[in-house]
Amino acid sequence: MDTIFACIDGSTVNNAVCDAARWASARLAKPVTLLHTLEKQAQHGADTLSGNIGLGAQSELLEQMAQLDQERARLAMQYGKALLETAVARFGDDHSEPVNSLLRHGDFVETLVELESQARLMVVGKVGLDHGGQFSAVGSHIETLLRQVHTSVLIANQLFQPPQNFMLAYDGRDTADRSLARIIDGGLLAGLPCHLVMVKSGDSAREEKLQAAEHRLTEAGFEVTSALLEGPIFESLQSYQQAHEVSMLVMGAFAHSKVRQLFLGSNTIRMLENATLPLIVLR
Amino acid sequence: MLTTLKAEWFGNIRADILAGLVVALALIPEAIAFSIIAGVDPRVGLYASFCIAVVIAFVGGRPGMISAATGAMALVMVTLVKEHGLDYLLAATLLTGVLQIIAGALRLGELMRFVSRSVVTGFVNALAILIFMAQLPELTNVTWHVYAMTGAGLGIIYLFPRIPVIGRNIPSPLVCIIIMTAISMLLGLDIRTVGDMGDLPDTLPVFLLPDIPLTLETLWIIAPYSLGLAVVGLLESLMTATIVDDLTDTSSDRNRECKGQGVANVVAGLFGGMAGCAMIGQSIINVKSGGRGRLSTFTAGAVLIVMVVFLDDWLRQIPMAALVAVMIMVSIGTFSWASIRDLRRNPLSSNIVMVVTVGVVVATHNLAIGVFVGVLLASLFFAHKIGRFMVVKVDELDGEGCRRYRVVGQVFFASSEQFVAAFDFREAVERVVIDLSQAHFWDLTSVAALDKVVIKFRREGADVDIRGMNEATETVVDKFGIHNDPDEVEKLMGGH
Repeated sequence: MDTIFACIDGSTVNNAVCDAARWASARLAKPVTLLHTLEKQAQHGADTLSGNIGLGAQSELLEQMAQLDQERARLAMQYGKALLETAVARFGDDHSEPVNSLLRHGDFVETLVELESQARLMVVGKVGLDHGGQFSAVGSHIETLLRQVHTSVLIANQLFQPPQNFMLAYDGRDTADRSLARIIDGGLLAGLPCHLVMVKSGDSAREEKLQAAEHRLTEAGFEVTSALLEGPIFESLQSYQQAHEVSMLVMGAFAHSKVRQLFLGSNTIRMLENATLPLIVLR
Repeated sequence: MLTTLKAEWFGNIRADILAGLVVALALIPEAIAFSIIAGVDPRVGLYASFCIAVVIAFVGGRPGMISAATGAMALVMVTLVKEHGLDYLLAATLLTGVLQIIAGALRLGELMRFVSRSVVTGFVNALAILIFMAQLPELTNVTWHVYAMTGAGLGIIYLFPRIPVIGRNIPSPLVCIIIMTAISMLLGLDIRTVGDMGDLPDTLPVFLLPDIPLTLETLWIIAPYSLGLAVVGLLESLMTATIVDDLTDTSSDRNRECKGQGVANVVAGLFGGMAGCAMIGQSIINVKSGGRGRLSTFTAGAVLIVMVVFLDDWLRQIPMAALVAVMIMVSIGTFSWASIRDLRRNPLSSNIVMVVTVGVVVATHNLAIGVFVGVLLASLFFAHKIGRFMVVKVDELDGEGCRRYRVVGQVFFASSEQFVAAFDFREAVERVVIDLSQAHFWDLTSVAALDKVVIKFRREGADVDIRGMNEATETVVDKFGIHNDPDEVEKLMGGH
């Protein structure tokens, strides 16, 4: 529960991921481990369509394919090492917490799930390597990651500036109250001004909880501005954050059940796709 | 779930389709040849190959593996077909499928770990030998034309790939078949062709229930064959899955594969096809051609049926000599030549297991019996080896005339006689101490042997004192439940 894992994949958001990890590491006083995973590429065998098999066909083919894989894996490993070295260098000498790097074989989400027991926070880039320049697309792994891990995840965007304040989308549900508790106990956001925002849903019982939430945060020493917005959830939040120069978004993940999400889409995914700011999904 | 499905089907579209095509072309001659081995019309094997390949693409546990009508299965069904006919074969195929589904549900795929490497090698070599032997009838009592064509066919198969560019991109067995068919048609040779061997399909397979009396008697006829088919099918499928796993460095779901083979055989039986399983040679060809996903298996089956239905007039003309050449290639490619090379390096017991497995299969023409004998032999060798890990140390007589024996090692059925023999009952002592704290008693035979030792000593007038009994017999109980706990294993095996 003590390490901040930052995922480096060689895409354009790498620097932002490093900066975000550096910021979180300094605030939490926890070490950072930079992680790069070498994902397996499907090989194309010997790529002959000759359709014949001769003496010792199986062992010969195994040898050929193993050799191809070996060459490819060596290159990927060298590239991964270079990436990690560059990333470590970005932390500079004046960063007080230890910075380690970790190179693992395997799928990026699976690796993070394995490492989860040691993780305090995971930092990932919003655009994975696969997406090239399409910035609106969420990195292909992020959604899977959010569904599988139970650690908070910081999703960095193109640029990372240490945030001056943050906005918490609060809906009065249990998950939101848990997020609130995480913010108060966590320390990552301590001392930053908080915009506590709720969108009217017509459920007055829940709306009343907004004040209680505000009270809890104020007691914990946060400077809170709270607001009750009207309109569609996503658009209201979007315009609020623009109007108030919010510099970081905080939210709980996936309020709906899996089945409902499949049909309705979830606000989490929508926020993720359209966010231009760094975003923390709390667990 | 959805993403895995997508990756397994459409992760590798172009290469999968190309590889599927290559495999389909290679499957056609094999399906015909295996039908002939089984003694049924080529139609039966071709329908089976289509049904099995297409169904297993959806339900199998090993993407990229090719299943169809196979030689191993054909060999098991020969007698059934000869004595009772096609309808009984179809019924046996259905029952095979049901048995395999049950095996999958009972997770019998895990039993594969008891099949040692030497048995697997023996199975593969025996299969290669049987496929080769099945070609011999086509090569006896024939004119020299047949030998010439077979020889030329083999030449084309192995030399054509050496031609730059086209050699790598056109399947050489296909070239062999086309050239040989053309020669035979042009010269108007009077040699046997596929058309002489029985009906070819001219339509898609249709659903039909086997026409058999639904009696217990029928069940008794087909059950032994179905059992053999189910065992052979699962064995070859799981072995092939391991080979594909190794080649592609991925893993497969064995129990799903067992159930999938069952479903595929049920479907094959209902559409007039014979039982089949995974094919070692074809799966290697598929991987070699770049096939990795389920789409490659599906393409192989689908292309096969389309070509067969539309090209049946041409298929009829293929000379048997060309098929024989292709099958000889399959048998050579299936045979594990490394196992012959390694004979000198491997321990004698492994060699015996391998050779006996091959011998039994070739003698009985039944791979299931061969594997059974192989596994049995391997277990006996293992028991014998472990049985030697037992010594009884005899300490010097102490001052009071007490003899102390210390038992070290594994005591079980294979070593219990040796255990009893290690004690000197002739020695006249009044007190005997047997220290078991470094021994492990594995079964009731060993406990009985200990009782025997104690009684013998008592009859000679000695008092027997046994030390460390409880710890030593901890291993007798069947369920340890500790294999995942290194500390517990350490405690148990490292002396008490």
